[in-house]
Amino acid sequence: MSLPARVLGWAAWAPGLEDAAAWRSWAEAPEPLGREGVPDARFLPAMLRRRCTPLTRIMLRAAYDACEEPLRSEVRTVFASRHGSINESIELIECVARGLPLSPAKFSHTVHNAQAGLFSIAAGNRRASSSLAAQQDTLGHGWLEALAHLQREPGRPVLLVVGDVPLAPTFAPLVKEPVCSYAVAWLLAAGAEGERVSFASGAPRGARSDLAWPDAAELLRWWLSGEPELEITGARQRFEWTRG
Amino acid sequence: MSEQSPCSLAALGVVSCLGSGPDETWRRLAAADGSRLSVRDDLAPGRSLLVGAVREELPAVPPALFRYACRNNALSLAALGQIEAPLRDAIARHGPERVGVVIGTSTSGVGDAEAAIAHHLRTQALSPSFYYDQLEFGGAAGFVAEYLSLRGPCYTLSTACSSGARALASARSLLALGVCDAVVAGATDSLCGLTASGFAALQAVADGVTNPMSANRAGITLGEASALFLVTRDAGGVQLLGAGESSEAHHMSAPDPEGRGARDAMQAALADAGIAPEEIAYLNLHGTGTPLNDAMESVAVAALFGCELPCSSTKPLVGHTLGAAGALEAAFCWLVLQKREDDELVLPAHCFDGVRDEALPPLHFAARGERASLHGPARVMTNSFGFGGNNCTLVLGAA
Repeated sequence: MSLPARVLGWAAWAPGLEDAAAWRSWAEAPEPLGREGVPDARFLPAMLRRRCTPLTRIMLRAAYDACEEPLRSEVRTVFASRHGSINESIELIECVARGLPLSPAKFSHTVHNAQAGLFSIAAGNRRASSSLAAQQDTLGHGWLEALAHLQREPGRPVLLVVGDVPLAPTFAPLVKEPVCSYAVAWLLAAGAEGERVSFASGAPRGARSDLAWPDAAELLRWWLSGEPELEITGARQRFEWTRG
Repeated sequence: MSEQSPCSLAALGVVSCLGSGPDETWRRLAAADGSRLSVRDDLAPGRSLLVGAVREELPAVPPALFRYACRNNALSLAALGQIEAPLRDAIARHGPERVGVVIGTSTSGVGDAEAAIAHHLRTQALSPSFYYDQLEFGGAAGFVAEYLSLRGPCYTLSTACSSGARALASARSLLALGVCDAVVAGATDSLCGLTASGFAALQAVADGVTNPMSANRAGITLGEASALFLVTRDAGGVQLLGAGESSEAHHMSAPDPEGRGARDAMQAALADAGIAPEEIAYLNLHGTGTPLNDAMESVAVAALFGCELPCSSTKPLVGHTLGAAGALEAAFCWLVLQKREDDELVLPAHCFDGVRDEALPPLHFAARGERASLHGPARVMTNSFGFGGNNCTLVLGAA
């Protein structure tokens, strides 16, 4: 079955791709994204910058660019990330294994909803927020969870932010995926405003889409391309987006 | 808010330190059996902790699913095994593509990853028995889908201590959207060194048993659990009637002292269920036993309900099961509704040292053996508030 939504806006960040014009050029000749890098954190309140991991800076940069005030403090949010703050968790576990004391502030920032929590604090947003992970199928399930929030409250737009940074070297050999730092944010709504896009999911019909860039960047490439539909096959699910 | 369609919590599998299965859990919950906590020396360096550890031997993750073999998934399997027959029926009826999985967790397989990381530090090599599927959050839902051979939507929600409640809220939305005809939803969290050391570093762990709402409260008792429901669009039985969510916009590890986020979540849950505060017969508090949570939660509860509503924190019996707490405490509410006796609900007691905090509103804490008389349909509520300022309140009911 096909589930509609309206796109009110989007934004993305990766090393060297810092604004909409850069992403439009990238979409015409896509290539692997940059491995490491972070946006300037000056857009964040000074008290929060110190605690911002690379992933937090990147996801919040995309979130802020996709959604301005007054909506920024009023939208529901969905933060989707396969790895989330796992690199910071690994660092803390190594501390414990070495018998070193553990920083309480660092610990409270290892939750999977660290990015959502810091966005809420920075933007003064007191609305519902989900943080999720779905292995290789994280993008499509992030979109679905955003639709689930639109179902709960159709009158309130949902800001979906999808992003990851390279997994720490301890475990990186265990995961096959494009190694890069990125976030893509979509401002989605029900109602009449914005461009319409329909979403569907189902069991895979073929092999997993083997892309050189993250699924979230592929979705943005498709959106900018004007092509009528996109199919991405993950590990367990097939996701389809259709324009109109 | 959203239109109301039936959302049945049709079957429950549950394992915690209270035991295995709804009946054993209810027997010890109704008796307020505080004897199930145990002391562990292996979780936080240099510290003995009283914890709610699952006591029974857990089922082994099937060999074919070796990539998912970790304690967190073994806990899920213990809960799944209790409802395997109704789950298999639902899958046969609707087809594996129409059955979804939404699991809450804050730990996933971190406990098993700790050994792999220590191994890596010692040898600079990966542990041969460790797979990333054990550690990554998405693996908690992935395991359930693989075990049941499901082909529907499958994801993990991880919003710290509200994860379990949130998973049930999203399952309800997936049914309402029509993308699923049934959802396996709930949460699992397992005791591990990272959370034990982390909460100890935050000075948030009580020395003895947690003492919620007491003037002497001094922190949490950690626990582990799995509570998984078969959620369907059927009418009747115990229904998930409402979900209310909010963010704090305040601090990563401390709630707004005025309890605005907690009040917003409870208010939104009532609005979503379409009921008034006086229709709630029992409230299962988040009640962690930390000075800040209990202060703000009692202010928020009193502001919305006054001080007559019977309420209790069940965390002195099972510990704070973190990512599983929202689903485990929904399970306790489910049991309260299932085990009603005529027009009375048997309430889980609020266990503490009895020394009220005079600075807090005088809430009505359920006493041992207390019952609530029903004057209409039975409606109960459960609160979950998490790090990052993420709140989720659920309303459950039965005719």
